[in-house]
Amino acid sequence: MRVLLVEDEVRLAENLAAALREGPGFAVDRAEDGLTGDDCAQNQCYDLIVLDLMLPGMDGLSLLRRLRARKDTTPVLILTAKEGSESIIQLLNAGADDYLEKPFDLGELIARTKALIRRGKGAAHPTLNFGGLEVNTLEQTVRRDGALVDLSPTEYRILEYLMHRPRAVVAKRELLEHLYDYNWEHHSNVIEAHVSNLRKKLEAAVPGAEPVIETMRGRGYRLAPERPADPGIDD
Amino acid sequence: MAQNINPRMRTRSIAFRLISAVLLVEAVSSVVVVFLALGYERHAHFRAFDVMLHGRADSVLGAVQDAEDAADNVMLDIRDIHLPPDDVYEVFDGSGRLLGRSSNWQGAVATPIENDRHGMARAQINNRHYRLLKMAGSRIVDPGLPNGGKLRNVSIVYGAPTEPVWHAITGAVEFYAAGSLLLLLVTGPLIAWLLHRGLDPLRELAALAGRVSVNSWEFSPPESARQTPELAPLTGAIESVLARLRQSFDKERAFVSDAAHELKTAVAVVKSSLQVLAMKRRTLEEYEAGLSRCLSDTARLEDIVAKMLMLAREESGAPDADGEAAADLVGCVRGTVAQLENLATHAQVSLEVGSPEGGPLRVSAAADECSILISNLLTNAIQHSAPGSIVQARITSEIDMVRLEIEDAGEGIEREVLPHVFDRFYRGDPSRTRATGGTGLGLAISKAIVQRAGGTIAIESEVGRGTTVKVRLPLAAARVPEPSSV
Repeated sequence: MRVLLVEDEVRLAENLAAALREGPGFAVDRAEDGLTGDDCAQNQCYDLIVLDLMLPGMDGLSLLRRLRARKDTTPVLILTAKEGSESIIQLLNAGADDYLEKPFDLGELIARTKALIRRGKGAAHPTLNFGGLEVNTLEQTVRRDGALVDLSPTEYRILEYLMHRPRAVVAKRELLEHLYDYNWEHHSNVIEAHVSNLRKKLEAAVPGAEPVIETMRGRGYRLAPERPADPGIDD
Repeated sequence: MAQNINPRMRTRSIAFRLISAVLLVEAVSSVVVVFLALGYERHAHFRAFDVMLHGRADSVLGAVQDAEDAADNVMLDIRDIHLPPDDVYEVFDGSGRLLGRSSNWQGAVATPIENDRHGMARAQINNRHYRLLKMAGSRIVDPGLPNGGKLRNVSIVYGAPTEPVWHAITGAVEFYAAGSLLLLLVTGPLIAWLLHRGLDPLRELAALAGRVSVNSWEFSPPESARQTPELAPLTGAIESVLARLRQSFDKERAFVSDAAHELKTAVAVVKSSLQVLAMKRRTLEEYEAGLSRCLSDTARLEDIVAKMLMLAREESGAPDADGEAAADLVGCVRGTVAQLENLATHAQVSLEVGSPEGGPLRVSAAADECSILISNLLTNAIQHSAPGSIVQARITSEIDMVRLEIEDAGEGIEREVLPHVFDRFYRGDPSRTRATGGTGLGLAISKAIVQRAGGTIAIESEVGRGTTVKVRLPLAAARVPEPSSV
């Protein structure tokens, strides 16, 4: 998952980025003012935007309004140091999905970012199910037909992203954009290796099973149902 | 010390005082009216009384007739005249012979008679007060005779008791007094009621003003209050006081909110630094680096708190009038420039100081305040200067003022930003000052220091040309020799 962090307080931004990378393993892009934040957001490759209110250039509320005005549905988590329910009501009405008051707890911030991303992708529960696969996003564990599959962090992130979009063809570029920060292009060669390893590990977990991740040549990857007849999708 | 106000004075309401005053005036006028009435009634009644006495005396004189005797005397025959039984009289002929006397009197000889100015007299007869009229008259006896009758001189003393007159006078005065008292009793409550009604607009105004609070500044006095001559100044005063209060309250609230924002952000930084460090097990080097980051984050928090406290101290501090703190401005500038040399070198900016020859120029500020002021202004100038440019600090002295100008050739301040640069927590360019660790309090503190020292501070700036900060400070009273050159 890739997060855009718009925060002008450099040290706070550094800490938040570090926490989001180390904790849930998100790719994080940072913008230090509203205008840069708006430019970044226009790439539409973020799964979440963490937005400070008091920003130079353009304040957080204006950025949020612009975002929603161009029908961008990316979840937005607001960081605010302002007091009073009035501004919170105003924020939520302007299209914010959640807010946190400074000084906040990093654990809470991470939990909220995860929940917002999950919700943004249409999943209510932190455990994702598809076919025989079960991905626990809290523990970051994967089971196939009950058997634990040991994945590297990158492999896990690829699978989690695909689990949110089962049956859909996910372009390699999209996968790259959502798993890596702004220098994702450097990773374009390794992603195929990661997908290949992931597929191998999933197949090894339940011997004889059909391939779960399909490679659509020239189009991307697809999380396919294990058995064509199985109607179950996620929960 | 506050003066002690007599509590009794305080409890008396305006209405009470007005009513008392009106009633007092009314009572005094009643008394005056009663006395005037007494005088007038007395005058009128006695005038009528005198006329009556004259009439009765004339009647008695009319009863003097020829006695038809040899001596050609006259006599008094009052058989046809009806006189009140209490009246007294005595009639004498020209030679002083008594012609007749009322039966209830021993005559003027037996009674001490006091004459008064108007030809009247007073006497005490039979233990009653009498008013007596002495009148000389003449009588023509036998007017039918050819020689036209004989003229005879007679004189009369006629008196009547004054008791009934006084009775009438007191009766009239009593009527006036009772009327006045009744009026007083009726008008008292009436005035109270009218006054109560008349003061309604004032009470309404008070109720409206009482509804004003920090959460509701609404004060809309009725148009009538604005137009009433007595209430208009009060209404105007309340309105302007409220407006000023609201302005300063809003300013304070904005400051508190900004201060909270700054502090919360700084605390958020420290907290998140610690939490990132605690997220997982790390190497010793990572812990060390993390701790030193936490330490510098804390220093930033400390800096904000210190500056806020300094601002509060400078803004609340009374002007230092006794001249105890008298720092030498020239010395402060030179010292601060030396301290900032490193920063300037790092920014590739050169600092120049121009000061007048002669002794120190002492201003009414402590040395540390002076250093903070100059340091703030110079740091701003250095930070906003392009590499290779010059920042100048010029000191010039006038008769009783010293002028400090700090000029840079930096990027300048935009016109719309200029009026706000002294606002607390105002940042012309937040991203820049955040990066350089600015709190947005530097210029606010500078202004507070200058104002406390009794001076003024102003900024002139042109985008692309540079900025000049102009500070004027009065010289401290205890001044050492005036510099000869400027």
